[in-house]
Amino acid sequence: MTPWAWWASGVALALVPLVNWVVLGRMLAVSGRYTALVDRFRSPPQGPEMSQAELIAAVRAATAAEFGEAAVATEAPVVQPSSAPAPRTSLSSIVFLASLALGGALSAALAGTAPSGLSLRSEAFPRIFGEAHWVTPVVLVVGGVLVGFGTRMASGCTSGHGLCGVSRAQPGSLLATCAFFAGGVALSFLLEAL
Amino acid sequence: MREVVASSAVGVGFGFALSRIGFSQWDEVHRMFLFKDLRLTLAFGAAVVLLAAAWPLLRRLSRVPPAWPARPVHPGTLAGGLVFGAGWALSGACPSIALVQLGEGQLAAVYTLAGIFMGNVLYAKVHERWFRWSPGSCMDD
Repeated sequence: MTPWAWWASGVALALVPLVNWVVLGRMLAVSGRYTALVDRFRSPPQGPEMSQAELIAAVRAATAAEFGEAAVATEAPVVQPSSAPAPRTSLSSIVFLASLALGGALSAALAGTAPSGLSLRSEAFPRIFGEAHWVTPVVLVVGGVLVGFGTRMASGCTSGHGLCGVSRAQPGSLLATCAFFAGGVALSFLLEAL
Repeated sequence: MREVVASSAVGVGFGFALSRIGFSQWDEVHRMFLFKDLRLTLAFGAAVVLLAAAWPLLRRLSRVPPAWPARPVHPGTLAGGLVFGAGWALSGACPSIALVQLGEGQLAAVYTLAGIFMGNVLYAKVHERWFRWSPGSCMDD
């Protein structure tokens, strides 16, 4: 399968955050989806979530019970909800992450690429790390831990910082993206030197 | 429901594109970091330029101003970025790529995926235990 030319790849990489912004009202940020799931798993929400109307009704009832009906006789001004997007649900994060895999599967199926089993489709990887059977799991788990740790520490990854933050000239994203590439370049040259 | 359908559509499109661009190939990423092949770097640069031009336009067109999260520098930005970069070069994957590889049938990406979740949990614990800065609202988007 011949990969797309750089300019077509650039257009595609720009379209995804734009479409995401239009249909979901927020910036594309993949590592944030992992964080949302992890946090949900680490501290499950206590009790059912309330809508704003339910919350107002509950506060009203509690006020009436404590101070009498007179205290709530005058209607409180209605607070306009802010335009901030609703909090992401765990379901949509799981669906989003699964859909990334589905997109990859679709691409491979249409190109007729055969699965590579429990290894990566790579010539350089076995050349650099050797062919011992334990090498792939160890290198990938260690690499994965660094990815998970680093993206959470830097508050974003290639999508949130690299694409969406840099294009909006956000200072944290500019520094983080320089660091992503510096870390990647340094380690890749180290691997070649060893 | 709308959120789930929209997330799914964006995810499938993004996964397909990343696969066809070649971002899911360990060798392509390795050549990018060695400056042996500038195709991925140019693609990334082109996307950033296009996005920088498109955001103001979209902002003017949209009725409700969508989220525009600030991304400030904090003490974890540089160190976290370097750690992620090293992990990217080792595993050939950023967070979305591990899933794309898995879908393509590069099943070894399950190791990377497990590692990403472990690393995310590990940082949360480390942050709670030792660090006092706020990572800002960036966690939310």
